[in-house]
Amino acid sequence: MTLDPSGRALSNFTVELEVYSGPYEWLLALILKDELEIFEIPLHELVSLYLQARNPEAPNVLERDTDFAGSAAALVLLKSRTLSPAPADVEDGEQEEVSPEQLAEKLTRYLMVRRGAETLRESFARNAGHHPSAHLLPPRPGRLQIDPARILEAASRAFSRPAEPPVKHLGPITVTLQELASVIRTALVRGPVPYEELVRDMDRLRSAVAFAAALSLAHEGHLRLLQPEPLGPLTLEPAE
Amino acid sequence: MNEPNGSTEPPKAAHLVEALLLTSARPVSVGALSSATGLPEAVVRYTLTDLARRYSPGESGIVLRNVAGGYLLSTNPACSAAVDRFRDEARPAPLSGAAYEVLSCAIYHGPLTRSAISGVRGVNSDAVVRNLIDRGLLAEVGVDRESPGSPALLDVTEELLVAAGASSREDFPSLETLVSEEELTRVRERLRTAGEGPPAEPPETS
Repeated sequence: MTLDPSGRALSNFTVELEVYSGPYEWLLALILKDELEIFEIPLHELVSLYLQARNPEAPNVLERDTDFAGSAAALVLLKSRTLSPAPADVEDGEQEEVSPEQLAEKLTRYLMVRRGAETLRESFARNAGHHPSAHLLPPRPGRLQIDPARILEAASRAFSRPAEPPVKHLGPITVTLQELASVIRTALVRGPVPYEELVRDMDRLRSAVAFAAALSLAHEGHLRLLQPEPLGPLTLEPAE
Repeated sequence: MNEPNGSTEPPKAAHLVEALLLTSARPVSVGALSSATGLPEAVVRYTLTDLARRYSPGESGIVLRNVAGGYLLSTNPACSAAVDRFRDEARPAPLSGAAYEVLSCAIYHGPLTRSAISGVRGVNSDAVVRNLIDRGLLAEVGVDRESPGSPALLDVTEELLVAAGASSREDFPSLETLVSEEELTRVRERLRTAGEGPPAEPPETS
């Protein structure tokens, strides 16, 4: 591993772990993109690697230490949060009460799988180093062997109509596009109106319909929608 | 005129089987060998026994492996350092502990869904599953119609059996033999005492 005193603070800090080898910054990116699981990263090893590579005489040592401490703390937080039960489940009381017998059953099952994993690791190690005698040939046209059951499965998934999602919980729709269009027209009499201000006291359904009404009015040329930057504040302006 | 191989004699059974195995990068079943060579399966089996002796780790740089329900010619692992240098290929990153656990779930409880794997391990395993599918060690083999949304069912692949040197799922030791009854009793006992709260004061001894 290396630490280059020049350039971005941690840009040249590379790590060698069992599951990853490469720049530390890429490791962070892979974790954030869920390409690597946080459970697989031994954080104590990361800290040891950083301390080994640390040069106290480097000019930007403070900046590098700060960057590393910040990112390492974020990883610790992420790992601990991932290991904890989701707060929503606890609040909703959805977490089932597990009896000691059920817990013992679950632990026993996990213990067996864990042992199976250890046996498998040994099998992989014993059988490593075998190279097959030939490169895999692509199937010849017309000779591709496909399980008919899998084709049937894929076809039925592709052509079957998905089940209608339940909408009973949504309740009756009590607002119309015309109603919100009229609200917008009234508001525009006083001049341009920020969308946020327009929907401030509305519930989610009304604010969604208000947005649809604004789009409709803009399409008809009754108003203009101004948004200086993507995802920025939206302003409704009367058309001249 | 002689045949292209320089001989007028028809090839021997062992030569035919050997030639077919040499051209295949995947295990070839006895049935497939019999069909391609025109030899009866019994003859193919006998020939394979003979080839296995000739291509044993102590006799040759090539070994005959009985893996994933078929036979595969591979290099002898004892020669792997030289082969690796010659091929100069990047070795895949070793599998993590989590990856072996997911594979173990699939071997012993598969086919099963992603959520079932996460249920056994107690943590979300989607990222590990994705990596294992990318590496060809796990594959989606169907759907679970009983569960909401019909999630995909995952199972181990031929590549996994080859990598583990197993002929089939049955080659792995049964789960019951992996954990002793004594160990299970200890786990249950520990849970029982944890459920009862802090241990009581030890009785006074004289």
